Order: sequence, then structure tokens, then C-alpha cells
Amino acid sequence: MIDRLTAALGRSRADYTEIRVERTWSTAVTFRGRRLESATASEDQGGFVRALSAGGGWGIASFTSLDRLEAMVARAVELSRAVRVTPPIRLADVAPHQADAILDLDGDVRGIPIAEKKRLLEAYNGELLAVSDRVVDTVATYRDEVSEYWYVNSDGTALHELRPEVTLSGTAVARRDGTIEKGLESIGLRRGWSSVQDKAAGFRQAAERAVQLLDAPMVTGGAYPVILDPELAGVFIHEAFGHLSEADFVYENPQAREMMTLGRRFGKPALNVGDNGAAPGLRGTLPFDDEGTPTQDTPLIRAGILVGRLHSRETAATMGERATGNARAISFRHPPIVRMTNTYIANGQGSFDDLIRDVKVGVYACGAFGGQTLLENFSFTAAYGRMIRDGHLAELVKDVVLAGNLFQTLDRIDHIAGDFRWNQMGGGCGKGGQAPLPVTEGAPHVRIEEALVGGDVPAGSA
Amino acid sequence: MIEPLLERARRRADGGADALWRQVERTSVAFEWGRLKAAGVAEEAGVNVRVRHRGRVGVAGTTAVDGSTDDVLARALASAELGESVDLAFPGPAPLPALASYFDRAANASLDDLIGIGRSLLERLEREGCRVNVTIERETAETRVANSAGAAGAYRSTAIGISAELWRIAGDDVLAIGDAVEGADLPGDDAVSALVGSVNARFEHALRVVAPPQGALPVIFTPLGLSALMLPITQALSGKAVLQGISPLAARIGEQVFDTRFSLTDDALRAGRAASRPVDDECVPSRTTCLVERGVVRRFVYDLETAARAGTQSTGHGQRTIFGKPVPGYTNIVIGDGGREKGEGGDELGGGLLRDVKDGLVVDELIGVGQGNVIGGAFSHPVALAYRVERGAISGRVKDAAVAGNAYHLWKRVGGYGTDARWAGARYTPSVLLDGVSVARR
Repeated sequence: MIDRLTAALGRSRADYTEIRVERTWSTAVTFRGRRLESATASEDQGGFVRALSAGGGWGIASFTSLDRLEAMVARAVELSRAVRVTPPIRLADVAPHQADAILDLDGDVRGIPIAEKKRLLEAYNGELLAVSDRVVDTVATYRDEVSEYWYVNSDGTALHELRPEVTLSGTAVARRDGTIEKGLESIGLRRGWSSVQDKAAGFRQAAERAVQLLDAPMVTGGAYPVILDPELAGVFIHEAFGHLSEADFVYENPQAREMMTLGRRFGKPALNVGDNGAAPGLRGTLPFDDEGTPTQDTPLIRAGILVGRLHSRETAATMGERATGNARAISFRHPPIVRMTNTYIANGQGSFDDLIRDVKVGVYACGAFGGQTLLENFSFTAAYGRMIRDGHLAELVKDVVLAGNLFQTLDRIDHIAGDFRWNQMGGGCGKGGQAPLPVTEGAPHVRIEEALVGGDVPAGSA
Repeated sequence: MIEPLLERARRRADGGADALWRQVERTSVAFEWGRLKAAGVAEEAGVNVRVRHRGRVGVAGTTAVDGSTDDVLARALASAELGESVDLAFPGPAPLPALASYFDRAANASLDDLIGIGRSLLERLEREGCRVNVTIERETAETRVANSAGAAGAYRSTAIGISAELWRIAGDDVLAIGDAVEGADLPGDDAVSALVGSVNARFEHALRVVAPPQGALPVIFTPLGLSALMLPITQALSGKAVLQGISPLAARIGEQVFDTRFSLTDDALRAGRAASRPVDDECVPSRTTCLVERGVVRRFVYDLETAARAGTQSTGHGQRTIFGKPVPGYTNIVIGDGGREKGEGGDELGGGLLRDVKDGLVVDELIGVGQGNVIGGAFSHPVALAYRVERGAISGRVKDAAVAGNAYHLWKRVGGYGTDARWAGARYTPSVLLDGVSVARR
């Protein structure tokens, strides 16, 4: 395949050309309640060409029929020439690499019969249902894939990779009269079959949580000291800060550039944030990004000060900085754009108890049902919360929605514990119509000295 | 290619089969931060096949359609071995309604034509201290569906999407105002002008920032800002949610649940819309389906499988992609006042509803819609773009405010509809005035 792609590259008349081909085998199994909703195996294949001619813009072509490879290279070149761009697009230098990387398949999912995958999921789904009669509905999904990946560019890079991925998730819906609550378990790994065994405990806890929430009061809205658990802290740093550090947001927008000037203070000295696409064994980890740039650990905030950002080759060249290996595409259907990989708040000091010891009334917000950042505002829905009273964890509360201005909120992070962990969840990140992109987030427990907690919504039914 | 595939499937699956084949070609142009940046084409073809064997249903899909389709059929049969039994019957042949879904003007528009539209948008939106993003996408598609009971449908379709976003960053205040025009045909100058007018009007009102009001207030939701109020209702009207026992509207067919001024229709045959189609993805002829009529719940939407499970008929809402099994999905949702649609062309933000509001909000975009327990109806969202209304006029943009309420309660009393009905994605709606929405300051 690499030879075929290199030959096609040789016929390109553009100044820069890259070709990606992917072939993906995947299976997906879903249970809904006791019923198997579907068990399917799919095969997806296709290619992507991107070309850049002198004075031209990006010419892009994607296709599912590999017979069209040569024609699509010509088409991409033609499109690049049809788009005049001033000043011209430049790419940061990246040394060419040749690599054949077979990631640890950890039990190749392609060798496991789909009936076996169904049995595994049925067992986990059974854990959800067995917790209580109150669990009236469940959704449990198993998804795996192995993607064979080829990449060449006209700078001399040639890559061949075999990339595994497996995700498991379970939602338990508990109901009593008109009240409905959910508990969620989610696991996402860049590994294989062996890594999703023995996961029953997490499913059981999710269902237990849903049942417990039926009796939990709604959190009373207001401003509180809030402690984020590592999962929610990870989602928070990804959503509320990570996206701003993607250089395609700032590189050609002078006002945005000013807002994100390196050296600006974003938080207290305890705050250190980064993105590490090379961290071993994580879902957002790959040896190279989709422009052939090696991945790396990129510091973004050091001691509260903005020190870096995430780049593609284009954004790096425009800003006179170095490519960071963050140009990623979810599949051959899409061009690489600046994305996060494994984003983290670095470890601090002390324990969880140290964070809550001097809190009179506060909220411990745990897990994430979802989160969105729009411009400088964010909103996150925690899976559940616990009140903190006089330095101790107190009652379970539900409908914990955190909302605020991200600049103010980052600046109010006043204590970071020393209990860092990566959260290997499923799902993924969405941007520019490309979702879900496998990413990981990591953080220790984090305290925000004051944040607005919503939740007090009038209850009602149809 | 689906006929030979179905022929082979018929021999191996005793309960029949159906298949969907779709080929799409997409052309796109992107202007990034005010500059033309990229042009692209995408070609995609794939097939999705479903078989019923020994009473069990299995599905498989592939884009590797260059060679033999034996593999995808084998995978569908393997999927059926695991499946639960479903009493799913493939529909027989039926006449399809006439529908213009393919427009030459859209299909034949050249790259330069598309770039030209983008440039003209850029010129009309650019202003000091701001940056503009524009994307234009044109799609032509060919869809074929057929089943072993002899039903078949084939149609070509076109779709155009033009979207623009005006960004202004001043210090830490980030303002982004966007809008889009979508349809099956190339939009005329009037539609492009309306897009410019919409972005500019909302931008002008946003320049002044004012303090948000507080309390249970009248709130006008614009066509773009209505999602949080619509999502619970459309989720609850899905036959799938009804089957799963999670729909608050289950068992309420025929009941007056909402204001008599609230009607909802799904119209798969609406002229000029990209989601319109003569036949659904399971060979069921398309039609217009009344979901809520003057506040009375009339019907849920079903695909073949959910209909079979519920012991009813498919409403023609089967949607399937190349991968995965069909699911019930909407086409074009029309929100109306008892079926009487108001006139278009109300350019004013709020569609003429402002004058009825002493102190309240116009909500144009919320943050986090779709998070949490949506189908329950309760929502609580910070505003992304909202304006304060004082004594019948917009006084400025509000930041740091949140709105909350329950969609089922709020739709029980509609304060009024605006005269600004328009398409927002696949939803046709005017602005809506709802009273007693909880507005909180942060």
C-alpha cells in the first residue's frame, strides 16, 4: 500500500501533497433493557488527499473507492489551484519519519466472535438490571475497532499503523413514580479484548447511584466552594480551557491572539495544565498525528501562566511556533484540524481531605453527564454531587449543573490535590463536525473557591 | 448493486431482506477568519443490508463496495443469529408520492459559483474589529432502497448549506453570531440577503451589554433559540421512547396536553427541503404526519422495527446510515399555530412580539442544550446569546444569565407567535413568547 501511495504522490503536481488511507473493522453491540438491540459488524474504508500549490489554498478530496486514488490526487491538486490565497499558506518544518507501528492489540478484537462480545455485554448489562427493581431501563453498548492506517506526504514521511480501540458504556435508568434518574459507566481504551474483562463493579456502581439519586434532593442553587472530582476536573479543563488553546482559534484572529497572549495569567501558581499525545497507553495517544508530526507533551499553563498552545503545521508556521502533533482527523472523511489528545491538570499536593477541611458549606461535584463551552461561558452537568458541611462529606444531591465564565473560574482554582488520575472514558470530543474523537482527560481533585451551581429547576411532568 | 445483493439474501434468509445503497458527492468551500482557505470534494458510496432469518433480524454495512458483497451479507446473517426475534414484515410495493428532490441549479453550480456566494457574504458581513467564517457545502446524492417483498424506491437529491459566523473579541468578551441557509436548491439572492440581515441585526443589538433581569418572566424564544423547548417534545414523540417506557407522552394520544395554539407536523414532502424524500430508508412511502394538533397528541413516529414491536404501522420515519440499524427519525418539523402559518418576512428580532413584553428576554442561543435528562422536560441553561427587552424594545445583550423551566409546562400556555417563521435547520418555526420562564443572574 505504501508503495502505491508513494507512486500516487509522485504524480502530484502540487508543492505539498499528503495521502491517508484507512481500513477499519468494527463491531457494535447494544442492549436496551433485557433486549439485545443490535449486534453488527461493519467495514469502512477510504482515502483522503490534501494538496497545496504555490499561492493556492488547500485542495481536499476524500473517497471510499480506492480505485479512485489517482483521480482524487489530481482533483485535490486542481482544487488547490482554483483557490487563490494571499498571503500563501505555509507549513512548519517537521523532520520526515518512516515508521511501522503496530500498537498493542491486547487481544485482537477481530479474532473474537461477535457472540462472545454479546455475552460479555449481556453480563455487564445484567449487573445494571440486577441492582434493584427500580432500574427500569438500561442502555449498554460495546464497541470495538481495529483500524489499519497508511499515511504518506511529499516531505518523505511514510507511516503504517494498526490502531485498536474498545469502548464499553452502561446507563442505568431508575424510576419511582414521576422521578427518573440515571447512572453512567463509561470506559474507553486504545487496547483490545483483554482490557474489557472484569469490569462488572463499575456497572454495578452506576446502577446503585441511579437508585440512590431517586431519594436525593436537588441541590439548592447558589454560589459555593466546589470540589471537582478527577473525572469532572478533567472534563472541565478540556472544555473550558483546552479548546481555547487550540491555535486554529487564534492564529488568524488578532483579537483572539491578544486574548491568548503567551505570558497571560490564567490561574493561581498552583495551576499547571498540559496536553500529552505521547503518554503511554491512553485513548488519545498515537505515535504521530494525521500530518505525520510526532506527538509530544505540550505544557499549556505553567504556574498559572499561559506558556503554550496546540498546533497543526499550518497554525505553527503562521505563529512562528513549532508543530506540536495535534493535527487530527476522526477518519479519512475529514481533514486534520487542531485537536487535543490527553489533556490534564498536573498533580498538586495533599489529599482530598485537605481540600474540604476548611469548607463550611460546599458542593463535591462528581462525574460528568455532559459539558459544553460556548465562547467564554461553560455549562457542565455533573453525574451527582455530595454536599460538604463543616469539612465533611454530607448528603447526596442531584441536578448539579456548574455554569460560569471560564476566565473567572480558572482563576478561582485555589487548591489542587496530589491524587492525579487519567480517566479512561468512552465518548469523545467534537469540533468542526468531527466527532467523536478519542481523547483522554486527567486531573487530581480540584477546588474552585467559588462557583455557581444551578439545579433548582421547577419539577414537572407532561 | 442492491438487486443482486437482495437476490442472494433472499436465498439465504428465510424471512426476507432489505437494503439501502447510497452514493454521495459533496463539494465544499471554506473561508476561515475572512480568507478563502480550502476547497474540497468527497465521494462516498456504501450499502446497508438487513436480513430476517428464523425470525431474527440482523444488519450489516460496508463502504468496501468495490468487490463482492458476500462479506456484508455474511455479516448480516451472523448479526441475525444473535438477534432477538422481531415480527418485522417488509412492506410490499406501493406508489410513491411525487417530490422534486433534485435541483439542476444546485447540482450544476460550479466551484466558482460557490466561491462567489461566499465572497459576496464575506463582503457584506465584514466590519472593523471582526472576523468572518463562511462555509458552503453542496451535496448530490443517489439513494436506492429495495426489499425482498418487491418494494423499491430510488431518487436523486441535492442539498446546499451556507453558513456564516461573525466573530468579535473585545478583551475577554467573545461574541459570535451565526446563521445558515439550508435547502435542496441553490438559494436566491433574497435568501442570502436574509442571512446577512439576520446576522447584522442580531450583531447591532448585541453591541450594548446590559444587566439581565431576574425572576419568572416572559421570554421570547427565536427560531434559532427554541431547541431546549423542542427537544423534550420530539424525543417524547418518538415511538422508540414510547416503547422504552420513558416518554412522558406515552398513553396520552388523543389528550389535550398542550395549548390549543401548539401544533406540530413532520413533513417529509416539504418542497425544497434537503430532508424531504419520496420514500423512507425502509421502502415506506413518505407522507406528512400530524404529531400534535391544536395541543392534542395525535401520533408517535415509528420505523418498521419499533412499529412491529409496538403492534402498529411504520409512519415512514425509518432512517438508516451505511452503518448500524435503521432508527425512527424526523424529517422536517413544522411548528404552527393550529396549522395556520404566519407570514414570513418579519425581519425584526422577536418577530413583532417585543411590544407585548414589559421586562423580559429574547433567547437566541443557549449553552448545553441536550445535556442531562432531556425527555423529562426540565431544562436549565446559561444563555449564549440573549437580549433584554424593556418596555417593548430591546435594550441590549445580556451575559451571565441562565434560563430554566419545564418544556411540558411552558407549552401549556403560548403567549404568542411572531411573524418571523423560518427554517432553522430542519425545523420551521416563528418566534414564540412563553410566560413564566425562570431567569437567573449569575
